[in-house]
Amino acid sequence: MRRTPAARLRFAAVVLLVAAFYATSWQLAQVSPAKLMTGLPKMASWARKAWPPATDELPVLLRRAAETVAMAAIGTTAAALLALPVCALAARNVTPSMAVYYPVRWFLNALRGIDSFVFALLFVAAVGLGPFAGVLGVALHTWGSTAKLWAEAIENVPPGPLEAAAATGASRVKVLGFALLPDVGPSMVSVVLFWWEFNVRASTVLGVVGAGGIGQELKNSMDLLDFPRLLTIILIILAMVTVIDQLSQSLRRRLE
Amino acid sequence: MSAVIRAEGLVKTYGRDLRAIAGVSLSVAPGEFVAVLGPSGAGKTTLFRCLTGLTRPDAGAVLMHGRDLCRLDGRALRTARREIALIFQQFNLIRRLTALQNVLAGRLAVVPTWRVLSRQFPAADRALASRCLERVGMLERAEARADQLSGGQQQRVAIARALAQEAAVILADEPVASLDPDSAATVLQTLRSIAGSGVAVIASLHQVHLAMAYADRIVALRDGRVLQDAPVAEIDARAIEQIYGSRGEAA
Repeated sequence: MRRTPAARLRFAAVVLLVAAFYATSWQLAQVSPAKLMTGLPKMASWARKAWPPATDELPVLLRRAAETVAMAAIGTTAAALLALPVCALAARNVTPSMAVYYPVRWFLNALRGIDSFVFALLFVAAVGLGPFAGVLGVALHTWGSTAKLWAEAIENVPPGPLEAAAATGASRVKVLGFALLPDVGPSMVSVVLFWWEFNVRASTVLGVVGAGGIGQELKNSMDLLDFPRLLTIILIILAMVTVIDQLSQSLRRRLE
Repeated sequence: MSAVIRAEGLVKTYGRDLRAIAGVSLSVAPGEFVAVLGPSGAGKTTLFRCLTGLTRPDAGAVLMHGRDLCRLDGRALRTARREIALIFQQFNLIRRLTALQNVLAGRLAVVPTWRVLSRQFPAADRALASRCLERVGMLERAEARADQLSGGQQQRVAIARALAQEAAVILADEPVASLDPDSAATVLQTLRSIAGSGVAVIASLHQVHLAMAYADRIVALRDGRVLQDAPVAEIDARAIEQIYGSRGEAA
């Protein structure tokens, strides 16, 4: 392929820009292969010390893992309940007015933009240490994300059936409940399952800021350099996440 | 016979000078099957939207039971709409619901909200919906999901939905434009028999011979005006063909 001089110049400019972007990022991220080389043997020695994993505290750790699953479940469910009335307002095709649509969208984007980790940090300060702060953090972030995905599902529904239901003289609530819900219901449930699964993974780190769950034990063991216990915790997290992922995926597949 | 729905001097202009309809009057009596003919751009769609209150005309009135639909809004317009059932070119069934549930959609306006949301329709409404399915010959497929039915079957379910609304007027916008000839004949025959039971049926059609075969009266539109409005027996088919022919659009 022959390029014109202008195209060649443009190509060179793009290459230069991309190179500059990565050079700056490398600098900002303080990437240091030398540090990694000195750190790796340290990690290898930890790994050697970690075997065999500690089993004496297994009941406590399993309880903490259950706490994490529960935080994700309660937080996600609360988010879904909060998202239900809001998603119709945030869908272009069924919102009562654009004057409602835009503020609702901004609000949801703000919730989505702040991670549950950050929310949890704030709530630990407000309601104290423990899983409840984590629940609130998960609920707020997931509220925004769920409502936005639901609104998008609603916007993809063909308008004809809704128009036909409205033409019978039925009220808005009846039209949405009867003609819209059967169409979007399965994908809405699928979205909630996805977020539950995601939140179980996300909740494992919430403990690091003191918001309960298995993450808190992870942080304690790391601080005490108790590697056998750390290994047990990591194995529990892996098992937990795998089981939840499989369960959620098989449920979601059944919805299709 | 007195008209159940009457349009008087409807005018609707889009933009500055695109005149979709320019003074259309039309009146339909109970039990009458009126076919509205005209090439695309003649104003059929705008006329239908005005008749249902979806579009507000710039001038004119749509009278039903002595009230002007064009002056209503909100709850009053919703109540008035119960009297006009719509049938669409693309059927517009709720794809994941069964045929019977789709027919029950015709009862949405009169069934309490909690019953609609919990899908607990009263026995009387369920019986009515079954009878409507039977009238269009679809009772055997009552439990089939809408998206498993053929186009012709879906349109018959849509007609049953319109029947279940127990409206005085059925408006069908190009009801057979997406169907094969056999299904089209079945659908028009069904509309014909519904008109026979006392409902006013207004259908826009593309094909002159179908209008001649099934309708009582033909209203031919061209450039937003009524070109002819006469019983089928008095229609000069060649004159009608001309309104399409002159535009190079085969009927």
